[in-house]
Amino acid sequence: MESLLVFNSLNILYEVFSLLLVALGLGIIFGLLRVMNMAHGEFISLGAFTAVSCQMAGLSYWVAFPATLVVCGSIGFLLERFLIRQLYNRPFDTLVATWGLSILLRKLLELGFGKGYQSLELPLSGSVSIWGTGYPAYRLLLMGFIVILVGGLTLWYNRSSAAMRVKAMIGNPELAESVGLNTQRLACLTFICGVCCAGLAGTLLAPLYSVYPAMGLDYLLRSFFILVIGGVGNLWGLFTGAAIIGGLQSGLAVLVNQTAGYFAVLIVAIIFLWRNPDGIFHRA
Amino acid sequence: MVFFIARNLGLLAVLWTLPVLIGDYNTYQLGLYLLYAVAAVGVAVCWGQVGFLPLGQSVFFGLGAYISGWSLRAFGESWEVWPLLSLAVIVPALSAWLIGWLVFQGKKESGPYFSLITLALSMLAFQLATSWNSITGGFNGLSGIPEFGGLDSFGSLYYLIAFCLVLALAGSSWLLQAPLGTLWRAISQNEPRLVFLGYSTGTLKALAFGYSGALAGLGGMFYAPHQGLVTPDLCGFILAAELVVWTAVGGRKSLLGPVSGVVLVGLLTSELRDVFAYWEVLVALLFIGVVLYLPNGLSGIFKPLSGLKKTKISPEIAIPARSSVSANGGLSLLFDNVSSQIGTVHILNKLSFHIKTAGIYCMIGPNGAGKTSSFNVLSGELPLSDGTIQINGQPLKLAQHRLSALGISRKFQFPSIFPELTLREHLSIPLWSNQAKAHQYLDHRLHRWRSQVLSSLLIQFPFLSNQHNLASALSHGERQILELVMTLIAEPKLLLLDEPCAGLSPQETKHVIETIREITQENNLTVIIIEHDMQLVRELAEHLFVLHQGNLLAEGNVLEIQNNEQVKAVYAGGSKT
Repeated sequence: MESLLVFNSLNILYEVFSLLLVALGLGIIFGLLRVMNMAHGEFISLGAFTAVSCQMAGLSYWVAFPATLVVCGSIGFLLERFLIRQLYNRPFDTLVATWGLSILLRKLLELGFGKGYQSLELPLSGSVSIWGTGYPAYRLLLMGFIVILVGGLTLWYNRSSAAMRVKAMIGNPELAESVGLNTQRLACLTFICGVCCAGLAGTLLAPLYSVYPAMGLDYLLRSFFILVIGGVGNLWGLFTGAAIIGGLQSGLAVLVNQTAGYFAVLIVAIIFLWRNPDGIFHRA
Repeated sequence: MVFFIARNLGLLAVLWTLPVLIGDYNTYQLGLYLLYAVAAVGVAVCWGQVGFLPLGQSVFFGLGAYISGWSLRAFGESWEVWPLLSLAVIVPALSAWLIGWLVFQGKKESGPYFSLITLALSMLAFQLATSWNSITGGFNGLSGIPEFGGLDSFGSLYYLIAFCLVLALAGSSWLLQAPLGTLWRAISQNEPRLVFLGYSTGTLKALAFGYSGALAGLGGMFYAPHQGLVTPDLCGFILAAELVVWTAVGGRKSLLGPVSGVVLVGLLTSELRDVFAYWEVLVALLFIGVVLYLPNGLSGIFKPLSGLKKTKISPEIAIPARSSVSANGGLSLLFDNVSSQIGTVHILNKLSFHIKTAGIYCMIGPNGAGKTSSFNVLSGELPLSDGTIQINGQPLKLAQHRLSALGISRKFQFPSIFPELTLREHLSIPLWSNQAKAHQYLDHRLHRWRSQVLSSLLIQFPFLSNQHNLASALSHGERQILELVMTLIAEPKLLLLDEPCAGLSPQETKHVIETIREITQENNLTVIIIEHDMQLVRELAEHLFVLHQGNLLAEGNVLEIQNNEQVKAVYAGGSKT
């Protein structure tokens, strides 16, 4: 009984952490830059397929991390430069154009890899015993990595002068520019950072979930729901949103079944979108 | 009218002769895409005209298809199938209307959140259709759906589908030319302005969404017998996304745009997808390109001017003045200890004043004194934290769009108009607002209404007589005057003017002042003007209120205010004690 409790709690914790990871990139791009990025899911796919490519090429899984950073960084740069830059402050067009982008990336992935499922070997098999309960080692490693990534980003966002410039740009772009900040470059770097976070999420989660070209949509919706429920622009919101969605999903999955969990998440998200789209932790 | 009938009959003739040219199989495929086109027309009405983007239109398409498939399977060709089939249109329409009503009520924007809600609804509908086995047949769907009224889906059903599409196009274009269509376009241009002219925009948007739901349901209704199979995919996001892509590429601003988009992109994709691997990538690139550089889609290239604006105006219909308002004298307005606070910022601080009789009142005070804010509290833009506002002794607690019915009109500080609407439409909208009954918004004769006030204002300001001109072509001063005229046409009892003469030339200013004075006297109107120009204040005001730091500093006539020591101190930059 006790081992089941430990196992289930670890599962819920894992669910929440992985959702946090999934939403992080969108939290940066939508939360900070206010770009309603419908291609977020495909950025995650990019990371996952980079990992698949590395495996196909016979390389170690760990090579996928720098590879993802390179792939997502360069794609993010090109996209910001040639697409997103024209769309700041045009919310509808952003939504529709990034939707088009998501179709484009999906079709390109289909062309390159086929529509089917790809499988990826677990880079770290075996399990670790926690209070007498065995738990998959890779999941633990993943949780550790997420703590480091999110913690590092938070620390950076609260302390560094670069983050201060980003905040200044978000608060008042004209004023930021007039005191000598290169907002265009800052926005571009922020966007690239968001794409890379999404890509890393894909790379990290790829060994655990099915990888296929249309996988992005589910991630996109979950990320949006998390941001909408938690509120954009701060980490607490992101964490609360992930906790609510993850808790609801895995809690109901344990109590009833997977479908019930999915229904509950959709309904809660719709209610939030409708009644309180600014979320629980609203940035004033 | 003749042109309208001829155009639609012509389109029908073209669609009906196509099968001869393209053969049975292609006709069958074309029939399928014409069904999608019916739904895409609904997307274009919502997105291109009213300005909100439905991302889950497949929900209603699927709903119609399931109802139709289920009824046909259950009743085949017996008579019961007909009332049930009509539900395939009615149920999607009502559900769309209800969703729209719930989401849009009390909001003055159509931001992306609505789109995300509809997207989430399509996910929900897909999941529901997949898991509700007993009704929907689960993942495998409803199969073996019989033909519709004995019409062969590879032959005669096509003619009915083509007829329905033409009907949908004709109906939509008729609706868009009705006053309702004018209001829909006004929403996409400037929703807050429309609210202050007395329209519940949430209700109007829900109507548009309900209409689009009906069209999607109609498409779905024929889909079931045409394909003989209904699966959960129909409710899902892929169809919803494709409807948006087709509409965008074809052109959301016109009605034929989405049809051409569906046929060009949709049909070609189904033909070329397997032959030419890069086709779908090209479509995605085309879509992005259209969003970035061609907001009106491919049809925007060929048709820079819409046919709607050329309608010529037939003899006008004179309507009487607004009855409830013109009968008796002005309106009394009481601000009793009104405070407004956001967070820790006190915007108004126990502001009290009382206006009992008709006349021109001016509100002056340094920047940040709370002049515009007091208007905003009255019209519900700012929260009323404490105190009461009374109109004719009744505490004010109303939705914003009801203020106009009460006789309150407001002109904003910066001219707030509908850039892409004609001057005629600008003048009609306030005229209808308190005089037309709900059903009359479908009556095209409303476009010819003219009231006494409108006639005299047209004489005062001749530039308004170029009725087909777009408001975007006006100068700043003309826009100010246009907005003022709009508030006057509503025949209010209490008129709130926020710096009505800002940016006007001296001649225009003089003209505006005369008009305001004249109309005030003729109609027993109460006018409150916020003004910085003391010259103007001296000419106009019968009574002055001086505001300072969210509170009333002094009131009285011009002479009294000029000699008031406290006012002098405040204007010289000091504080009041």
